[in-house]
Amino acid sequence: MNLLKLAAVFVAAMAAQWWWSTHLSIAGVAPQLLLVLTVATAARYGPLWAMSCGFFWGLFLDILGARLFGANALALTLVGFTTGSVRRQIDVAGLGPQCLLSFSMTWAYFILIGLLGTVFAKTFLWVGWPVFIFDPIYNCLMTVVVFAAWAPPRWDHHR
Amino acid sequence: MHREARIANYVLAAYTVLALTMLSLPLTAPVLKLKACVTYVLNPVAYYGAKGSDRFADVPANIKDLLAADSENRDLREKVKQAQWARAEADSLKIENGRLRAELGLKAPQVRSPVWAHVMERDPLHWYGSIMIDAGKNQGLEISAPVLGQVGEGLVAIGRVVAVRANSATVLLLTDPLSSLAAYATSASTDNPKSFEGLLQGQNRARMLMNYLNPDALVAKGDMVYTSPTSATFPPDVLIGTVAQIYPPDQELAFQSAGVAPAADASRLKEVMILKPQSEAAAEAPKLSQVAPESQDGETPESSQ
Repeated sequence: MNLLKLAAVFVAAMAAQWWWSTHLSIAGVAPQLLLVLTVATAARYGPLWAMSCGFFWGLFLDILGARLFGANALALTLVGFTTGSVRRQIDVAGLGPQCLLSFSMTWAYFILIGLLGTVFAKTFLWVGWPVFIFDPIYNCLMTVVVFAAWAPPRWDHHR
Repeated sequence: MHREARIANYVLAAYTVLALTMLSLPLTAPVLKLKACVTYVLNPVAYYGAKGSDRFADVPANIKDLLAADSENRDLREKVKQAQWARAEADSLKIENGRLRAELGLKAPQVRSPVWAHVMERDPLHWYGSIMIDAGKNQGLEISAPVLGQVGEGLVAIGRVVAVRANSATVLLLTDPLSSLAAYATSASTDNPKSFEGLLQGQNRARMLMNYLNPDALVAKGDMVYTSPTSATFPPDVLIGTVAQIYPPDQELAFQSAGVAPAADASRLKEVMILKPQSEAAAEAPKLSQVAPESQDGETPESSQ
């Protein structure tokens, strides 16, 4: 795999996530680009790369916020692992499965962050209903964009 | 188990342990160090992202400025063309003037060059008395150098240098009682040209007093007051102010007086221009040196101040 390309995507994704959530969020609703990319990385390169990228992208999200340091890292690592694992059961190379994964992983991500808050901050870190409802849809749209720009190879080629 | 899956499980376990350690021990030294390290490495993404974003945010305004600059540039090019013609005309007149001065045996006026300086300080106790500027001996300033201020596109007389230090100088304003300057009042109307010479004196307040006007002179409010050619300190015909008040002629005095409002409020000036005497080498233009070889021979004593 092209490490240089992945490194460029890694840094550009962080910059894009920061820019989008800072300048283009509507009532706090902004796409979780790093989550979508973790799903896309898992679909394209498998769980190992997805977990590594997800962990460090999560650390980036953690240092941007003042809440639990490590929560996003753990959540995105699990997203990468789960997506990378299910690609053995279902074909995640298509757009539809990736949208479905992004949608479900967004909810899982929010719930996991909330639960980690319950355990480590003694309060459920609730993202709010607008974000909980609209962010998965937003992430699905972002998945389409990421898929168009970074379409994974067919599953058959990697089996 | 598949080898990749096995490795993935190990990696997951490692990342999970690391994340849980960070979550459960957030204030321990290793976690704080790791956080500092991560912040040091990843924070520039947000920082430079913000800077880059700001730069791109300025793009529309910059394009607008660029278009305005293009339009302004065209106007200025036209003005430069006209200025070139005016300069050629002025050079021609200067040569002619020098030749005529030489034929009449008149001394050439002192050649001076401008130095711009910022106003550093104004003493509240001597509000109408003096200001301090950030240019001095190192910039070529000398005692009695005239100081002008810019109002709109014109220059107006402000005062003269009375103390010079290495990089600063004190300017005595025309409104100071110690200031006096030969001046003439003239009407703005060209239908009824007139010119009355007098002595302008400071009064330690906003207005100045113009004395020694001819008792028969028909000075009127609104007449413009300029520096007189008889002043050796100031160049002639520099605007000073306007006549704001006419005092009734005193029967016991052989002159009349007028109050003059300065054209420039010195308290609002941020920059001033000082005319310093130009060195002879720099002052000697090739053309002028041929027609006016007697320039810079001597100094005219200051009679009006």
